[in-house]
Amino acid sequence: MNLLRRVLGLTRQSDMTTSDEEVVSITYGDEAVLASPPEPIIEAPTGLDDVPDEEHTADSADVDNKLETVELIPDFAGTRPLPPLEAVVPKPGQRITFGQLSDVGMVRGNNQDAMFSMLASGSSSDDLPDFGLFIVADGMGGHHDGEKASAITARIVTGYVSSEILTPLLNHEMDDPDRPTITDVLRAAVQQANTAVTERIPEGGTTITMAAILGDLVYIAHVGDSRAYMITDEGIEQITRDHSLVQRLIELDQLTPEEAAEHPQRNVLYRAIGQNESLDVDAITRRLPRHARLLLCSDGLWNLVSEDTILSVVTSCADAQEACNKLVGMANDRGGTDNITIILVQMPG
Amino acid sequence: MVDTQRFAKNLPEQPEGALQPGSILQGRYRITGVIGVGGMGSVYQARDLRFPNVTRYVAVKEMLNLTTDQSVREMTLRTFERESDMLASLSHPAVPEIYDYFPSKDRAYLVMEYINGRDLEKIINSLTDFLPVETVLDWATQLCDVLGYLHLQEPEPVIFRDVKPSNIMIDQHDRLRLVDFGIAKIFQQGQKGTMIGTEGYSAPEQYRGEASPASDVYGVGATVHHLLTRRDPRLEPPFTFAERPIRESNPAVSGEFEAIIMKALVFEADERYVNAAEMQKALNTLSKPVFAGGNRVTASESADEMAAWGEIQEVRALWTFQCEDEVRSSPAVHQGVLYIGAYDNNLYAINISDGSFKWKYPAEEGISSSPTVVEDDNLVLFGSMDHLLYAVDSRVGQLSWTVATDGAVQSSPTVEHRHVFFGSDDGNLYAVRLATGRIQWRWEGGVPIRSRPLVTGDFIVVGLESGDVVGIDLSGQTVWRFKAKRAVSSSPVEHDGLVFFGSMDWHIYALDIMRGWKVWTFRTNKPVISSPVFGEGKIFVGSVDGNLYAIEASSGKERWRYQAEGQITSSPAYADGAVYFGGIDGKVYAVEAKNGRLRWSFETKGPVPSSPAVQDGVVYIGSMDHCIYALKA
Repeated sequence: MNLLRRVLGLTRQSDMTTSDEEVVSITYGDEAVLASPPEPIIEAPTGLDDVPDEEHTADSADVDNKLETVELIPDFAGTRPLPPLEAVVPKPGQRITFGQLSDVGMVRGNNQDAMFSMLASGSSSDDLPDFGLFIVADGMGGHHDGEKASAITARIVTGYVSSEILTPLLNHEMDDPDRPTITDVLRAAVQQANTAVTERIPEGGTTITMAAILGDLVYIAHVGDSRAYMITDEGIEQITRDHSLVQRLIELDQLTPEEAAEHPQRNVLYRAIGQNESLDVDAITRRLPRHARLLLCSDGLWNLVSEDTILSVVTSCADAQEACNKLVGMANDRGGTDNITIILVQMPG
Repeated sequence: MVDTQRFAKNLPEQPEGALQPGSILQGRYRITGVIGVGGMGSVYQARDLRFPNVTRYVAVKEMLNLTTDQSVREMTLRTFERESDMLASLSHPAVPEIYDYFPSKDRAYLVMEYINGRDLEKIINSLTDFLPVETVLDWATQLCDVLGYLHLQEPEPVIFRDVKPSNIMIDQHDRLRLVDFGIAKIFQQGQKGTMIGTEGYSAPEQYRGEASPASDVYGVGATVHHLLTRRDPRLEPPFTFAERPIRESNPAVSGEFEAIIMKALVFEADERYVNAAEMQKALNTLSKPVFAGGNRVTASESADEMAAWGEIQEVRALWTFQCEDEVRSSPAVHQGVLYIGAYDNNLYAINISDGSFKWKYPAEEGISSSPTVVEDDNLVLFGSMDHLLYAVDSRVGQLSWTVATDGAVQSSPTVEHRHVFFGSDDGNLYAVRLATGRIQWRWEGGVPIRSRPLVTGDFIVVGLESGDVVGIDLSGQTVWRFKAKRAVSSSPVEHDGLVFFGSMDWHIYALDIMRGWKVWTFRTNKPVISSPVFGEGKIFVGSVDGNLYAIEASSGKERWRYQAEGQITSSPAYADGAVYFGGIDGKVYAVEAKNGRLRWSFETKGPVPSSPAVQDGVVYIGSMDHCIYALKA
């Protein structure tokens, strides 16, 4: 699409670009176009060979093409010829795919986890980026309070993100400078869920790990000890930070991860939705390289299945749903002591 | 205040077999109520029937011994007995008196003085405003006095282990008393299910099962921090007191008092006061009478005290080089030679080994643009106020070519893809062929362009004096446009799909580099002219508000800030775990990238808007005192 836009001299904000006409531009082979700016003063370079420009392009031909090829399309005032047709049919691996599974486990009587997934993807001259929203929430509290807290949270966050990101995206309002930042929208979404849980389920609480994907950037908001992992060719990386006492102690070199796994207070969180009126929400933004995977999960998975195992299962399964099924099975084989929820998103590539 | 433990559904509530009011122990103590419930039993209020004519209350502490394992039972009982003996041998006005001890079936009882008063937790929760600082200082001193007494016991120091507001009472005579001597410790049986809320007052090493007098010192620090700031540590991430300076919440607290409390709260036990007696000595220096205004402490003094925890190195200049006018441009270092422009119109080439002069090239007017070296072509490129961009042979200082614009060239050039990109005050962004100096295209911005263009694989991002930041593709077409509220002279940098820059509108921005959408913003307290630099997951950038900020690139959260004594317009450099920058206060600073702690500072004789270049352990930077300095990093 960028090519298309470049060729047509279009920009997304054509009303703002004052200078399209002057910029039309490129000059290769026709230096006369440049008559208007003062001719550069060219001194005889003493230490330089007088090499023709073309020879310099060899090492970066691709980039130089971008700098110089546009003149290949004849530029008429007013109308421009259409470029060759582009295929708009997605090929396999060109779009985001995902799998998801939530399981009660082998011990608990009810599933207090909640999950939500939504994917919007298309193709048009608008060049909208793919949009995805993925949520895992792990509720806590007795008398069904935990599952209510996680359910309300997933619902409220989805509604807020729909109205504050998806709708503006469809209305081409994302570049309005007075809009809140995307990060602030996610924080506000979680904050709104926090207010609702605090008011409606005073005895319940929940974690949340949510990912909003816009193009190749993923925006993550996170509270508690559910996790987001990024899996690339370089391996697996936990990109959220647990809000747990033992995690803080590990960061301060007071505990090793092995000691933390056995620590009597390993289940103590210092931050969760429903804990307090004001909530500090972690919000991070990362680029998802081509072919990267994003895995969201509750602690029912990571307490029982190691990162290395997650990595090998995810990379050995071609299908995201198959990987989710397999991982839930493994957690249950190892005792299934807690509810297990997994969402696995696979980027195109 | 919310109850931070309210999800702890599985903690014991009233244990089974708890004593009911009216029951009588040993024919002597009639239970009248419950004072508290702990993990191992309850504490009751009881009336001592040996004194029938007066109402004499005692506190009866019960320890349940429910385990079925015989040897564990005996061991627990012996521990309880030993602690009771120890308590009974203590004599301090703040330690409750012990009257009696007796085992009974599956439990044991300790009878002690009943203290009529309120604990500090109740006092804090009832506050609507800060407590007077003198009151807190008095309590802190009394608390250190009793803990110091325990810590100096022979042959072994007694460690209280659980210093926190609910274990400290103020009795009806306004004296501080310690209660709930640590028999029920923080390591009770592991809780089941996830819980929210931590103890908040315990030292990090206690979670490893280690406790020393310094652990109690931490508890004192945490308790006093809570009293002074009214911020409950159980509602904050554990061990984050250093991120909540006391004086930020409560300016009535002196810098010295704050420094003592913060020293008590250091993570590493051996960096705190060794025991409460040492801490009390430090507090005593505060309570001496002071002359009016005599205890005023400036921010920088307390900052010095903080810095004193780490070693500050001495730094000397390896060499200096004097130009004929101010140096505002930033150096470029390449193959043993430093290139830098000065307001005396010259571009200088200086040998970095000894600071000796190599050559200079005179422009027609001053140079504030920073030079760029192109290795393959032996060129050094720079702009001048005389409207030209110069390409000079980097070896001998002979002119190769120039590009004439219609305005001063203050933007520093960027070389990528065999082209040089730079902005001019004539409102254009230029793409010029490196080999010939011919203009490939001009992108018209309409207002001066002074920031250095960022050029990535397929994108150019540049800031304009109008506050617009534009994404331009390599053929010179605008792809997106973002509008900040004021000029963007700060040069954008890219990391992981985001582009970062500062604006005169006081903010630092992170945008989606492909679309120009706002990902996060960070507000400083003055304009941002300095350009950000990336290192260790953070963006480092200075502000005219005098702070160098370290902001996490992925979240926009402040990690630390370092306050200089004046504006920071210099763009920082990051190398080998340190951040280097100049200040308008005339100093060159080196601070730890990890935590913002000062490594060293070096004083020049003029403001330093120039940005440093760091190579092979040496920092090169210019100053408005006309000099260029080489400093050992």
